Amino acid sequence: MKDYANNQITLLQYIFIITGLQVNVSIVSLPRNLAETAGTDGWMSIIIGWVISAAASIAIIRVMKNHPEGTLLDLLTRFMGMWAGKVISLLLSLYYFYILYDGLTRTILITKAWLLPTIPNFILMILLLIPTYAIAQHGPSVLGRYAELIAYMSLWIPFVYILTLKNAHWLHLLPMFKDGWQPILSAVKETIYPSLGMAATFILYPFLKHKEKAATGILISTSLSMVVYLFFTVICFLYYSPDDISNYNDVVISVLKSIEFKFVERIEVIFIAYHLFLYSLVWIPTMYLTTYCTSWLFRQSDHRGHMTWLCVLLAIGTIIYSPTFNQSDRLENLLTWIGFGTEYVFPVCLAVYLWIRKSSKRRPAHEGKA
Amino acid sequence: MKARLNIALLAAAIVCLILKGSSDQLNLEDSALPLALCLDLDQNDELHIYTSSPVFGKNIKKKTHEIDVKARALRQSRTMQNEQSPGFVQGRNVQVILIGRRMLQHKDWFRLTDIFFRDARNTITDRMIAVDGPVSEIIYLNLEDQPMIPSLLRGMVDTKSAVSETANTTAQELRRQFIDTGITPSMAEIKLKNKVILLTGTTLLHKNGTYAASLGPQETVLLSILQKKAKPGVSFSYLIPGQPKSGPFETDTLSFSAGKIKTKIKTSYRQGRFQFDINIKSAVTLSERLFPYDVYKNANALEQKVAEQMEGQFESLIAKIQQHHIDPIGLGLYARSYEHKQYKKVEDHWADELSDAKIKVSVDIKIGAMGPVK
Repeated sequence: MKDYANNQITLLQYIFIITGLQVNVSIVSLPRNLAETAGTDGWMSIIIGWVISAAASIAIIRVMKNHPEGTLLDLLTRFMGMWAGKVISLLLSLYYFYILYDGLTRTILITKAWLLPTIPNFILMILLLIPTYAIAQHGPSVLGRYAELIAYMSLWIPFVYILTLKNAHWLHLLPMFKDGWQPILSAVKETIYPSLGMAATFILYPFLKHKEKAATGILISTSLSMVVYLFFTVICFLYYSPDDISNYNDVVISVLKSIEFKFVERIEVIFIAYHLFLYSLVWIPTMYLTTYCTSWLFRQSDHRGHMTWLCVLLAIGTIIYSPTFNQSDRLENLLTWIGFGTEYVFPVCLAVYLWIRKSSKRRPAHEGKA
Repeated sequence: MKARLNIALLAAAIVCLILKGSSDQLNLEDSALPLALCLDLDQNDELHIYTSSPVFGKNIKKKTHEIDVKARALRQSRTMQNEQSPGFVQGRNVQVILIGRRMLQHKDWFRLTDIFFRDARNTITDRMIAVDGPVSEIIYLNLEDQPMIPSLLRGMVDTKSAVSETANTTAQELRRQFIDTGITPSMAEIKLKNKVILLTGTTLLHKNGTYAASLGPQETVLLSILQKKAKPGVSFSYLIPGQPKSGPFETDTLSFSAGKIKTKIKTSYRQGRFQFDINIKSAVTLSERLFPYDVYKNANALEQKVAEQMEGQFESLIAKIQQHHIDPIGLGLYARSYEHKQYKKVEDHWADELSDAKIKVSVDIKIGAMGPVK
């Protein structure tokens, strides 16, 4: 149904798409969330979270290997029947839309808080949607190129963050295991929300040029995300007092305010404007994924019609309603659990199911459909 | 088809920008940009907020415009400031924040500064300065031979803190010192004497924000050594006992500048009290020796004498800190890191706990160079 061959993405592009889906606006409050639960031991939770999401990502690849020439939806149709595919395509499109909406509204809230306090939400929404549509309509290969470009363009960001180390207090990190393992383990759930995005593989897998390297690719991207989280979290922990860090909403942005340059007064302004590129890596791919699922559901070969409607819907929807910071936090909490179900539990169950099915099929005594 | 779509998208973006993009712009001509913000209480304990903004104009003799309003809080004072100002008062260019001594007699004044952190448009690297005396004297001082007060003060703090003679405390740093349980606040101190502004050193505050004590420039250097903030190049001057004096001249003076200073702080908890063993190591360069001495042969003896003098100074500084129940060094951070369990029990009144702690300072000085003359 879809033209996979003409829309191929390279391994590197795939890595950057997944990393972009993980590292985006969600990182802004991650250090605070970790510190609230585990204090300055929170950085260890990132490593534990990384192990879990690496395992989940391997499960995703295992599932997809069963039907390499199609998406998850084709796979489910093949193994479980037409209706399973339809139901999952609906659920998956809702899930991608949830990530998309959460990312967009969070970005609007942050932009308004730090940059443009008087601009109405829907204008911002329209301004964000225009480039989104322009990129997402072309499908995976353009998405891949965009993610790659943004990744290269963002290479300078860590260097600016290193400047904040001038006021670093390394003592904040000591002692390790302050209150034992328990807070560290319970903070692992804070790392789930920023790790979401691996589910893009469900749709992107058939577009991959070298499918045999997909497992390596997804492991590299989860590791890359882990390194990025660790970097920003440690930077924030070193700068802010452990007694104070939970008082800042957007720690990763606030920490920039400590940098002084002779030629620019509010460095964080330039940063947030620039960060919009990074943040866009969450909603641009999910915009495509959402409309891919819906167009698959309605058996349409072109996703662009749906995408136009989605953009219009989002713009009009923002005029009627846009979440406040507290509501956005609640959306985020809910997304954590929905995402955990979709990206961690679901693929593992599916992999186990497919494995049982396969091994039972191999035995000659059991024939027929499962 | 594709080109048309792109043009349509671009056009939509431009329309949006034109519609709304100009709604919150503010021309520089319509704004007043205070460079100094000052808080003080008057005789009747009423809060005054002063600002000093630069004035641009050919025929205006005085280069700054000062505004004085009585107010409850900073943002609430904005309207009253606007009444006296040719433009909208903006908080984003403030360079220095002055706090009057009368403010420091009351606790919890720091809560007034919430706006610095809550309004994202404010900078938080403004230098905090405590004024020994009323703020109004300084802010209305119109010196003809010096730059305007805000830039003068900012320059003073930035340059003197580079050689550790005053504390370079930004608003953000002060917030850390207030909120972190393991340290008490300190900031630069200025004073007006015979119409001259003097940067006299550092003001130390109690945890609740009230005034505790002041440190002179040399004491501030010692404090910053203990804080591990001293950069190479800080200079000391001592009177060496046993050297001859000649008339009114103190010819027993020895001055030197320190190289890289290594401060090691060992933390332990013994017999119900905290113990800190502080070791300071540095190789120094002699810069002034007013008495005859053979440094080639007897360097060790001189090193020892200097170390003794320094240890004495450190001890009196620490005695002062313990006596006032404060912790500007931040020893609480060490206690938290190395004696976490014990610290957690006392973190709410750490400074009181510290006044009971055992603090030992040892100094190792090596004369690394004696300068071009023997």
